[in-house]
Amino acid sequence: MSQLALQHYLAVGAIMFAIGLIGFMTRRNLIVMFLCTELMFQGVGINLIAFGHFHGNLSGQAFVIFLLVIAAAEASLALGLIVLLFRQRNTLDADAWRELKG
Amino acid sequence: MENTALQNVWLIPLLPLIGAAIAGFFGARFLRSKSHLPIWITVGASAVLSVMVLVNLYGMAHEAKPGEPIGITKNVFTWIAAGDATTAVTGAASDYLHVNVGYFIDPLTAVMLCVVCGIGFLITVFAAGYMKGEAGYWRFFAYLGLFIFMMTNLVMGENLLMLYLGWEGVGLCSYLLIGYYYEKPSARDAAAKAFIVNRVGDFGFALGIMLCFAAFGTVSYFGDGVHSNTGLIELFTKPMSEMTATQQIAVTWVPFLLMLGAFGKSAQFPLYVWLPDAMEGPTPVSALIHAATMVTAGVYMIARCGTMFFHNIGGEPYSAPLVTIAVVGAFTALFAATIAMRQFDLKKVFAYSTVSQLGYMFVAAAVLAPVAAVFHLVTHAFFKALLFLSSGVVMHAMDGELDMRKMSGLKRVLPKTRWLMLAGCAALAGFPVVTSGFYSKDEIIAVAWERNTILAGVLLLTSFLTAYYTFRLYFRVFHGPFVIPSQPATDLIPSEADAHLSPGHASAGHGGPVAANQHGHEVAHGAGHGGPHHNHEPWIMMAPLYILAIGAIVVGPWLYWTGALEHFLGRSPSFAWAYAKAQPVFGDVNAHAFGVEHMMTTGQAVAIDTEHAAETKQLHLYLMIASGVIALAGIGIAFLLHKKDRAQAESLANKFRPIASLLDHKYWIDELYDAAIVRPLWAVGKVYNVIDAWVIDGAVWFATIVPRAAGVGLRLTLQKGYLQGYAAGMLFGVVVILVAIFVF
Repeated sequence: MSQLALQHYLAVGAIMFAIGLIGFMTRRNLIVMFLCTELMFQGVGINLIAFGHFHGNLSGQAFVIFLLVIAAAEASLALGLIVLLFRQRNTLDADAWRELKG
Repeated sequence: MENTALQNVWLIPLLPLIGAAIAGFFGARFLRSKSHLPIWITVGASAVLSVMVLVNLYGMAHEAKPGEPIGITKNVFTWIAAGDATTAVTGAASDYLHVNVGYFIDPLTAVMLCVVCGIGFLITVFAAGYMKGEAGYWRFFAYLGLFIFMMTNLVMGENLLMLYLGWEGVGLCSYLLIGYYYEKPSARDAAAKAFIVNRVGDFGFALGIMLCFAAFGTVSYFGDGVHSNTGLIELFTKPMSEMTATQQIAVTWVPFLLMLGAFGKSAQFPLYVWLPDAMEGPTPVSALIHAATMVTAGVYMIARCGTMFFHNIGGEPYSAPLVTIAVVGAFTALFAATIAMRQFDLKKVFAYSTVSQLGYMFVAAAVLAPVAAVFHLVTHAFFKALLFLSSGVVMHAMDGELDMRKMSGLKRVLPKTRWLMLAGCAALAGFPVVTSGFYSKDEIIAVAWERNTILAGVLLLTSFLTAYYTFRLYFRVFHGPFVIPSQPATDLIPSEADAHLSPGHASAGHGGPVAANQHGHEVAHGAGHGGPHHNHEPWIMMAPLYILAIGAIVVGPWLYWTGALEHFLGRSPSFAWAYAKAQPVFGDVNAHAFGVEHMMTTGQAVAIDTEHAAETKQLHLYLMIASGVIALAGIGIAFLLHKKDRAQAESLANKFRPIASLLDHKYWIDELYDAAIVRPLWAVGKVYNVIDAWVIDGAVWFATIVPRAAGVGLRLTLQKGYLQGYAAGMLFGVVVILVAIFVF
């Protein structure tokens, strides 16, 4: 079994990012779209950790710790907003809010 | 040798800064009416340290060998180190600028420190009583602490840049404190005026410092101790033939540039106009900043940089800067004194008198008598602070009224202030023998006489006018029929517990002989604390005044008869260098006026003694008698016109209406400046305003058309409200950027 190389990690990160991106582009459900953004987020996080490990310093890992904390905070906020939006329109469809374009 | 105060001399500026920070950050919320405490404690501690430094230096001067100057440099840290240090050459232009935050302690600095911190402390004590209950009490004391910090830096700095730092710092504090009552438009205008007029002078000063660096590669007075141990004071004594072209330019122009700064800060003609307006500030500020300390910074600068103001060019003495200073100083002294004769506002009279007295100091510095300049600086600080604070007591008691036409005979209600004011007035007028002002002013007149009799004549005339206007004020305010300003409408319901005097009350309650008795009773008990009736002379305000009054009476005679100040100041390296340079340039220089007899060998001293001393002593005595008589004459005329027969004073003024009117309007100088400088600048500003509004703004507006149009286009085409659409747009953008990066 060959050693896991940097490329493998980057490939996983890229695949996660791509899945997230495609999901975000194709779905209309607010919660699913939000999940997809999280997926992109984590894909980037994997990249950071992989590079940090590859260069032998800890700043990548440290950065990801921060990233996770922010993501957690942001998730609670976003989910709260989605709940509020749902209460207004009784639907999770993003297109229900088109008139916000002004 | 060095005591702890001397080793920790950096505490002297630092403590008031800490006090200011405490008062500034915690005053509004927590300290409130106790905001004066941090300033009292820190400025008081600085004053104690200053006195310790003075005593220590005095001891060193006593033990030092003859001819040995005393100066100690204490570097705190490197402030600026710019450029290539390896190119630095001692005493020559280079690409390396090194400036220390460092303190230079010599007799001159020690004396200045005692004046700044000592009188500063007394004034902060007074201010706690005077400013009681004012809105922004904490702000006042924070500024005061900051001022002491800046002023001590100014007098202690070891280089011109530190001097400049302090110089601008005290200017800032002056601005803030003049504008203390910022709700009053006149106070705001006065603050701006002070700041802007000082800009003119400081511009010259800054250029002077830059020229010094460009020519000599250093800004230190006596060497910064890092790459060179020779400072500007010594470098300016080099013979012209050994100087580079830049240095020759510097020797010619630096004195004029520095002088400009000194004229601005010390309110000399034509830059004096800000000082009378600065009286908008609270009275303790007028006493501290605009009479005793800050305005004397120019005199300090010229005393400190003595060697920079004259030179030997091609065998001829280059004395144009000194002549300029002397002429400006003497003219300002006379000019301001004439204006003071017709002013009716107590503080304005003293403001013009400060301008006039500063003129004396400049003359002293210009006729190569820095000792006399510093002597007058010290005595003036005492008696002028006393006069301002006494008028503060009057103002306090009269509910802010200062017009002497509206008050008279106040000795009945302010018996203690009356005596204090009399002491101050006598000192300012130069009342013979028993006052400080007499000795210091006489010193200046005597040395001026040796140089130029016309100069001395102008000063004698000025001292006559000084005696007149000072006692005009005293007699009008404290003698004659009892009159106090009518009660202002806002003060109709005075509370009994109110610590302030409401004038209406005074006329009702204290108006007659009964009142005099009441107060007599109070004096007899020495009671300063507020009793059941109003007390306009609380101990917290009177105690500093008593100390200042003792100073105004005793300091001058004491320093004169013991010669202590002269021998002490002569140990200052600045004075020693200035004397050493002046002696060959001018031939006969009065060593006594530099306080440097100790520098001469015994033979020289004896020679000078036999030739000059007897003659000089005789002359000095005659001048003393003359100036004494002149002062008494001025007082006498004031007595006749303002105590015995005030109607006659008015009829006399009417007889010489054009002159009186000229003086009433202060020679129309403010109007002249307004027409010649302010309005043209205003007009130019209007033109630029139009250019800005139409040309510049127009171009900017025109340039915005493209992005605006693009925005409108995008809104109509791409902004549909689909989140996926926006995400696709972002993705597209990222792709474009990536392609751009990888392809190009």
